[in-house]
Amino acid sequence: MELVIRDLSKRYGNGVQALDRISLTIGPGMFGLLGPNGAGKSTLMRTLATLQEADSGTTRLGDIDVLRDKERVRRVLGYLPQEFGVYPKVTAAEMLDHFARLKGLTDSRTRKAAVDALLERVNLAAVRNQRLGGFSGGMRQRFGIAQALLGSPKLIIVDEPTAGLDPEERVRFHNLLADIGEDVIVILSTHIVDDVADLCPRFAVISKGRVLLAGEPREAVGRLEGRVWERVVAREDVGAMQASLPVISTRLHAGRTIVRAFGTEPPGPGFAPARAELEDVYFSAVGGHLAPERAGAAA
Amino acid sequence: MSAASLGAIARFEVATKLRRISTWVYFSVFAAVALLWMAAAGGAFQSANVIFSADKVFINSPYAIAQTVTFLGMLGTVVIAAFMGRAVQQDFETLAFPFFFTSPITKTQYLFGRFIGTALVLMLIFCGIALGVLLGTHLPGVDATRVGPWSLAAFVEPYLVMLLPNVLLLGAVFFALGALGRRMLPVYIAGVVFLVGYLIARRLIADIDNRTVAALIDPLGSMALGVLTRYWSPDEKNHRLVPLASELLWNRALWLAVGVAAFATCFARFRLAQPGDAARPRGRKARALEQGAAEAAAPSATRALPTALVRDGGRDYARQLPGLITLYLRETVKSPYFVAIVLTGALFILGNSRVLGSLYGTNTYPVTYQVLEFASGTFGLFILIVTALYAGELVWRERDARVAQIVDSLPAPTWLSFAAKLATLFVLQALLQLVVMACGILIQLFNGYTRFELGQYLYRLFALQLPEYWMIAALALTVHAVVNHKYLGHFLVVLYYVALVAAASFGFQDKLYLFGDAPAVQYSDMNGYGHFVPAVRWFQLYWGGASLLLLVVARLAWVRGTDAEWKARLQRARSRWGLGTAAAVALGSIVFIATGAWIFYNTHILNPYEDENTQQAQRAEYEKLFKPFATHPQPKVVAVRVQADLRPHAHEVRFRGEFLLRNRNAQPVTELLVNLPEEAIVHSLTGSVPLTLAESRPKLSWRRYTLARALAPDETLTLSFDIEYAARGFANSGASKTVVDNGTFVNSTLLPTLGYQERMELSLDRERKKHGLAPKEDLMPRLEAPGVRDRNYISNDGDWITFETTVSTEPDQVALAPGYLQREWTGNGRRYFQYKMDAPILDFYSFLSARYAVKRDVWHGPQGDVPIEVYYQPGHEYDLDAMIAGSKDGLAYDSANFSPYQHRQLRILEFPRYASFAQSFPNTIPFSEAIGFIAKVNPKDPKDIDYPYYVTAHEVAHQWWAHQVIGAYAQGATMMSETLAQYSALMVMKHKYGDAKMARFLKYELDSYLVGRATERRKEEPLYRNENQPYIHYRKGSLAMYALQDAIGEDRVNQALAAFVRKWQFKGPPYPLSTDLLAEFRAVTPPEYQGLLADLFEKITLYENRAISATSRALPNGHFEVTLKVSARKLYADENGAQKEAPMDELVDIGVYDAKGEALYLKKQRVKTGESTYTLEVDAKPAKAGIDPVVKLVDRRPEDNTIAVN
Repeated sequence: MELVIRDLSKRYGNGVQALDRISLTIGPGMFGLLGPNGAGKSTLMRTLATLQEADSGTTRLGDIDVLRDKERVRRVLGYLPQEFGVYPKVTAAEMLDHFARLKGLTDSRTRKAAVDALLERVNLAAVRNQRLGGFSGGMRQRFGIAQALLGSPKLIIVDEPTAGLDPEERVRFHNLLADIGEDVIVILSTHIVDDVADLCPRFAVISKGRVLLAGEPREAVGRLEGRVWERVVAREDVGAMQASLPVISTRLHAGRTIVRAFGTEPPGPGFAPARAELEDVYFSAVGGHLAPERAGAAA
Repeated sequence: MSAASLGAIARFEVATKLRRISTWVYFSVFAAVALLWMAAAGGAFQSANVIFSADKVFINSPYAIAQTVTFLGMLGTVVIAAFMGRAVQQDFETLAFPFFFTSPITKTQYLFGRFIGTALVLMLIFCGIALGVLLGTHLPGVDATRVGPWSLAAFVEPYLVMLLPNVLLLGAVFFALGALGRRMLPVYIAGVVFLVGYLIARRLIADIDNRTVAALIDPLGSMALGVLTRYWSPDEKNHRLVPLASELLWNRALWLAVGVAAFATCFARFRLAQPGDAARPRGRKARALEQGAAEAAAPSATRALPTALVRDGGRDYARQLPGLITLYLRETVKSPYFVAIVLTGALFILGNSRVLGSLYGTNTYPVTYQVLEFASGTFGLFILIVTALYAGELVWRERDARVAQIVDSLPAPTWLSFAAKLATLFVLQALLQLVVMACGILIQLFNGYTRFELGQYLYRLFALQLPEYWMIAALALTVHAVVNHKYLGHFLVVLYYVALVAAASFGFQDKLYLFGDAPAVQYSDMNGYGHFVPAVRWFQLYWGGASLLLLVVARLAWVRGTDAEWKARLQRARSRWGLGTAAAVALGSIVFIATGAWIFYNTHILNPYEDENTQQAQRAEYEKLFKPFATHPQPKVVAVRVQADLRPHAHEVRFRGEFLLRNRNAQPVTELLVNLPEEAIVHSLTGSVPLTLAESRPKLSWRRYTLARALAPDETLTLSFDIEYAARGFANSGASKTVVDNGTFVNSTLLPTLGYQERMELSLDRERKKHGLAPKEDLMPRLEAPGVRDRNYISNDGDWITFETTVSTEPDQVALAPGYLQREWTGNGRRYFQYKMDAPILDFYSFLSARYAVKRDVWHGPQGDVPIEVYYQPGHEYDLDAMIAGSKDGLAYDSANFSPYQHRQLRILEFPRYASFAQSFPNTIPFSEAIGFIAKVNPKDPKDIDYPYYVTAHEVAHQWWAHQVIGAYAQGATMMSETLAQYSALMVMKHKYGDAKMARFLKYELDSYLVGRATERRKEEPLYRNENQPYIHYRKGSLAMYALQDAIGEDRVNQALAAFVRKWQFKGPPYPLSTDLLAEFRAVTPPEYQGLLADLFEKITLYENRAISATSRALPNGHFEVTLKVSARKLYADENGAQKEAPMDELVDIGVYDAKGEALYLKKQRVKTGESTYTLEVDAKPAKAGIDPVVKLVDRRPEDNTIAVN
């Protein structure tokens, strides 16, 4: 089963073009969706999660028309929104049980088994009867993935799941995602490049509602190999350099500013070749140094 | 810096709120409502009748503006709650609090800044009212004469005295709850509690003893305003600013103190800190929690998960419905706020049950219908509020908890949560009805009453009312679903309630167009729910269809997902449209249209739909067309023989009979002007001289017949008639109450009346003007008018008649009419009763029929035994003895003092509570079940008034005052009937219960009189010129007659009355005038009281008597010397209540009382205008002293007449 998005567009009432003819084809496995804040990631995620209407375009999941046949989508969907709350006085098990009902696990014995298994899987079995109000951010996020896994979904959408998690919890969360079956489409939206680098065999970069790049991280990095240069500069020179050179990124390292720039040749004096990283791909794409790739580049 | 930051916070608050559309929506709604309100008051709408207590009060008078601002401001409580509650709470809801809490501002700046900013915005919103008032008076159609001079102070004052304090005090409480509770629900609950304060006050105010308490406990101040201006005359309402004084001042001070306390608490407890600290487990437990979770963090093996999902979506999900409803319900019911709201409501019911069915401060037995009406009426508002509130909570449940995105992406169909939420509301309402039932039973238990009629509880609460609540639930849910703005949604639902209540005032009475409205059904112990339920069912079905359509709208507009833009919602609505919705729309439309058509057929075709405006128009047309006939000579009825066949279960009555008419004029009669109610079916109407129908206007009740030959003076004519009244279907107000299954009471107005009927004329000048008629100076002919003595005021087409009737009814019922039973038989499955009167009576009679029990007694009178019979509903035995005692004592007193009783029998006949009066017919007194049959008079309670006894005595007295002497149709006529009947009843009561009880009774009479004159819609006349004005002829009549007999002595009064009876008994025409009665009084009144006599009967006299100080000192002989300083003033008022001071020099009671309230001294002393001092000697320790302590004189502040003795 694959998810095929074609020319998906959405403009909000306030004039913001959130999605601009997005086309993507996403197969089973982890798919990373990278983009800066406000790129349209959440809009795309919510549209795929049946929460939002699109103005035009089509989206199909196997033989399901995602935009029209929401009911069918929801039966095979697991969704972890970027932001969500809980009923503070309800216990984890109760809440999950409630979601399971709505998910369609109407047989009470099956439902109980599913709830137990999922709580175990996300390591919340020990606190199953604790109120959700007392949960830490990581626990809450794991609870979130548990509900998304209810009913063995075929399409799982997780929107910025690791934002705000400590490194330990982040690892834990990554493990959970990695454990999801191979035949499931998992779309991970994030602005953290490492999430994608660590987890996703395929990814796309979107910005301002458009797909800038789609493909496999390794291949994308490979294409940059030999074209990334870096040097240390004085802070006051950064501005001038950004204006004159194809700068990919500037960052501080141990108090010094390191500028990375793009070029087949060294872009200027003092630049040394650097190993390309996925982050360079991301920044070059967002910075417009790579020609935007059009529809259906990834598979 | 502090002030600057505070200002900045307040400014920011104002600025952001001003950018919000909802702020301006509220502003506009207030402006619009005020505008409509003023326009209605000004007569811009055809049949609107918003009035500020009296027609002579300008719609922009200080009083009217104060009322408007206060009343509409009450609606603003919802807005105050929404804004003040959220002033701080919004920071928690939007998670913006860290920005504020971490910035360098102090708690003072933050809290005060927010509070002040919000208060400013609220005051701005409420300025909409002033704008609406101003604009409203300029709308086309507003009668310019209703608008008086403008005054800025009239606006400023209510804003400063009423609205601003309300914003601050309610605001402080809401603000504190929102800030400390971080939720809006407690804020709304507090709003409900405030409302309860208002409601309790509104109930308490009915009893004069509770008035001050009532003024204080209404947080909104409107009751205090009402108490303060209660006795203001139209003139005062036009000119006086409402002062911030007495009750109003105390009220404002008290509640502002509550507000300050709330704010102070908030200030003390509020911390600029992360919320939820307390909610998080702390310490070891928390660490354990974290560790436990972390240790097991190693990825566990992927386990196969159970995946059995729904098989056939719909049905499987349908099975989830009960579970979901239980979940939602548990969430709602378990919350302390819900418990609080229910407890408040229950306590409110139980607390107020102390004044159950109160009349003259005396309660009724807690019979089930009474308790049920009281409890469900009181609690009804709670149910509406809970419905509105929880409809919002349920619609927003997931979004408020921020789990909406998860839930919405789950495959459960949208209808599931929609249906579950709707059903939750339904069940919630049913639960609240159970609370009502429990409260009702508790009230009965507390009163030691154990005849619980559970069936009646269940039927009324669940079968009759619940469906109506369900429609409200559907509406509230739809509003919230469509509006998609929680607070605006609440406001709109409340606005709907208000609109529904106000609709009648604006002339929208057609229930076909008022969502959820249905004719009212009144339970009667005699007639149960009668035949009134089917009409209600039709309306319920009709609105049920509409509700279904609404729910389809709600279902289509239901927000699922994050996209709440209209474009997306429309898109989704389109995609949701399917077979199910189409079927629901089809079903809803069919039910709605079909039942609507059926209702229309019933309420507009079978029964004419006549709103107030139409009725007025008809009366106006009657006057315009037929007034010229007023001078046309008509014969008079001299004998009546009629057969009345009642068919209680078919709700029909047929009258066949004849009037013997005699031409008593000097001129010949050439035509008969016959008035018959519109509903009459005239089978035949013929005369012994052939009649030709010359003009027929059934809608105007008018038929004109020409006589084949003129009727010479003194010649007679027999008018034979066959007229039927048959209820057909139901009208807008429900099924006809003319003939009912058990307890029919109809009178002679259903039979032909002759001649132009002046009483059809519109009486209010405002209405006359609207319908193109000149103002009417007098409602009744002036005493000086020529020929005024020709007619009596009971019937203008008959004098004294002979009467004979046969009444038939169902075999299990007894039918009654004036006269003596001649014969009773059964035939054709019906029961017949033949009655005949042996002496002439007034041309006014009635027919009753019911399944009666009878209690019999005998009064042994000087002329022989008079049997007394009370025909009553079995179960209503409570007050029969009091009625019989009232009859005996009345007969004894009146016959001993005035003249012999003219009949050989006296009957009291109970009739259903569709009307609440008793009415005296010759030897027959129909008596409503509502005003005496279930009274619970506690003889030991000094406050209880034995009103069954009193009402009976009053009606018995009418056998003299009306049925022996009847006044001419002129001003003051009722002084000779109602006032004198009051007098007889007062004397009978005085002899039985003593002066103390009379003082208690007169307190009520004084209050009723003063309220009556304050709300007079035309003009107040002196007693001897009153135009059938109840507050004058009953209330002021009682006061005047009591004062007169107190001054000149009961014997002298009775002597005058006996002389009056001798002169006028069974006489007329010419009939007596009030001046004839006054002449008798004058003849027996000693010179020193002649002035009083004139003041009581010929003028509108008010006193401002007041005790200033009282001191006492012990005398050597064991007595006490009391020094009492009083001030006195006498005023004469004109017809509008404009007052002029009159010199006072008259005898007024001066009294001294001991601690038990026993009079140590009570004598009349000469009192002059201004202050005077009296020194009195009493033989025991005095506790209280004063001037006119029993309040025999009309005084608007009777409570200051006495003062404690120092």
